[in-house]
Amino acid sequence: MRYQERYIKRRKIVSFIALSLSTAAALLGLFWLGFILFDVLRHGISGLNLELFTEDPAPPGIPGGGLRNAFVGQLEIVFFAVIIGVPVGMLAGIFIAEYARGTKFSKTVSILSDIMVSVPSIVVGTFIYAILVKPIGHINIGGVLAVAFLSAILSFIFGSILNFFITNMFLKIIKISSEKTVKLLNLTTTTITVLFGIFLFIFLLPKLVDKIQGFNGWAGAAALAFIMIPVVLRTTEDMLSLVPWSLREAAFALGATYYNVIKDVVIRAAMTGIFTGIILAISRVAGETAPLLFTSFNNSYFTTNMNEPISSLTVTIFVYATGPYEDWHTKAWAASFVITFFILFVTIIARYIIHMKYRG
Amino acid sequence: MKKIGKLPLKDIFFGITSFSASFLVLTLIFMIILVLYKESSLAIHKFGIINFILTQNWDPVKQIFGAAAPLFGTIVITILSLTLAIPVALGIAIFLAEVSPHFLKTPVGIAIEMLAAIPSIIYGMWGLFTLAPIMADYIEPAIQKTLGQIPLIGKIFEGNPQGIDLFTASVVLSIMIIPFIASVSRDSLNLTPDLMKESAYALGATKWDVIKDVMIPYAKLGIYGGIVLALGRALGETMAVAFVLGNRHEITTSLFDAAATITVTLANEFTEADSDIYLSSLFYLALILFVLSFVILAVAKFFLLKVERGYSR
Repeated sequence: MRYQERYIKRRKIVSFIALSLSTAAALLGLFWLGFILFDVLRHGISGLNLELFTEDPAPPGIPGGGLRNAFVGQLEIVFFAVIIGVPVGMLAGIFIAEYARGTKFSKTVSILSDIMVSVPSIVVGTFIYAILVKPIGHINIGGVLAVAFLSAILSFIFGSILNFFITNMFLKIIKISSEKTVKLLNLTTTTITVLFGIFLFIFLLPKLVDKIQGFNGWAGAAALAFIMIPVVLRTTEDMLSLVPWSLREAAFALGATYYNVIKDVVIRAAMTGIFTGIILAISRVAGETAPLLFTSFNNSYFTTNMNEPISSLTVTIFVYATGPYEDWHTKAWAASFVITFFILFVTIIARYIIHMKYRG
Repeated sequence: MKKIGKLPLKDIFFGITSFSASFLVLTLIFMIILVLYKESSLAIHKFGIINFILTQNWDPVKQIFGAAAPLFGTIVITILSLTLAIPVALGIAIFLAEVSPHFLKTPVGIAIEMLAAIPSIIYGMWGLFTLAPIMADYIEPAIQKTLGQIPLIGKIFEGNPQGIDLFTASVVLSIMIIPFIASVSRDSLNLTPDLMKESAYALGATKWDVIKDVMIPYAKLGIYGGIVLALGRALGETMAVAFVLGNRHEITTSLFDAAATITVTLANEFTEADSDIYLSSLFYLALILFVLSFVILAVAKFFLLKVERGYSR
């Protein structure tokens, strides 16, 4: 009896110690988070002023100036990364979640993109460097590919907007409901879109292809898009698979084609989730430095020209923080402050939306 | 009326576009390998594979390159940061899964995931300006005074602590990978059926007994998956390490020495490479890193898939 009591007591003590240790681990995690955030806040606030956003950098070593070029460059790169990455990621996600649901192909793509999410971002940088920055022979194949890709994406966006406009406004205004006219309209829209794409390709090719050599903003946007695509793909796939199958069946039963089901039922039901996923992907990409180091490089002057090296916040932080001047360090902290709290803010909002939507 | 069995144009168009998008994603990963191989073929032919991995020289002037030092640095940092991160992360996972009161679960969980959302460059800056001085002034001398006195182990704590070294880099990296292990482990711990937990409690088990003997064995595969995933992440992390490691191509015996990893070498030297063979060697490093992390991430995915399959049955 005595022995048993002692045994139980010992087990209780061991349990207490183990649970305290696990609580301590959680506190340690929170401590690191608080430490880092507090430090960024403390150093960043002192460097924060209006000039940071409105002025270009002063020459090295001279105090003053701001980081306007980096803010604008960052926005531009991320914007184009979104333009390239979101449509591709979403389309691919829709394909593997809907058309190819349950096939080997969709499983392979899904697993590979799960792996791609964690591929070292600096390797992505070297890859993009090889195809978009380093000139290949006499004709820049990477440049041609990039222009083709860009015009395809742009014309796709153009086409969707046109289609949206026609189906939502035009048809309602002129009240056409005959099957044949609608078909004809669709055909025209498609033709216009394809023509627009070809025109864009021909129009952009001489303008861009010779210029896309050496470090350029497009390469930076492409590198970030590369990182975004698998993230967006996986979110889209997950969110679409959450939509109950009976919803689709109901739409099928009404005679809708799969395209209409996807567009009007599935996407609409999963929109919030996909949207939050995209926001999270953007916030993740906004803090990436490694893929930009040798794609968009850095530029100490203000530029919005994507054919040139373009400065981004993160690369600027890297350069400034490792630089020798005190003033640079302050600016780097201020920039880190802006970027960290932007990302945290966005992440919390997105998580909150997910929490509200998928509670239970 | 539409004819049955005939697809409208839009449907075909949309299907083809979305298929090509997913096909593009599929090819991207093969394109990386192909392009990196093509770019590094010059170095592969000149240095070979085993020779390149075992050579310590990294001499842009004489144009002799070897990956031994950065590989060594990468492996040391990865192992050290994992050893530092795993206990803490598992503690957090256990706390979130079983110990914490209900109202704390969501906020603490989100806070830990915030750690993963902070950009790596912030970790780097914080490591350089805040952690490195603390390390150099307090922690590293303290370690030298205590652990450094033990005869054999003392060797790895030798030298003059500067704060810019393998140890600091590992600490920064360990903080970065904690959330990866913690969130995956928590999710798999949470998958333990309540029935199993309750029957263990009914037999008189303490909370720790339940965690140790029921939940952890049940979630084992998921925890492995999380750890391997974090391993893959740690291998490829660049900016957090670049600030606090220096870039020194030497294999050191002391943790308090500057070193290099593959990623740091790439970040520091890629834009400065002035000869073809130099650039090609850097691409070679990138290829090695890519293959390494791809294999490791595939293993992680394998574990996690097995978990999924096991539980859905």
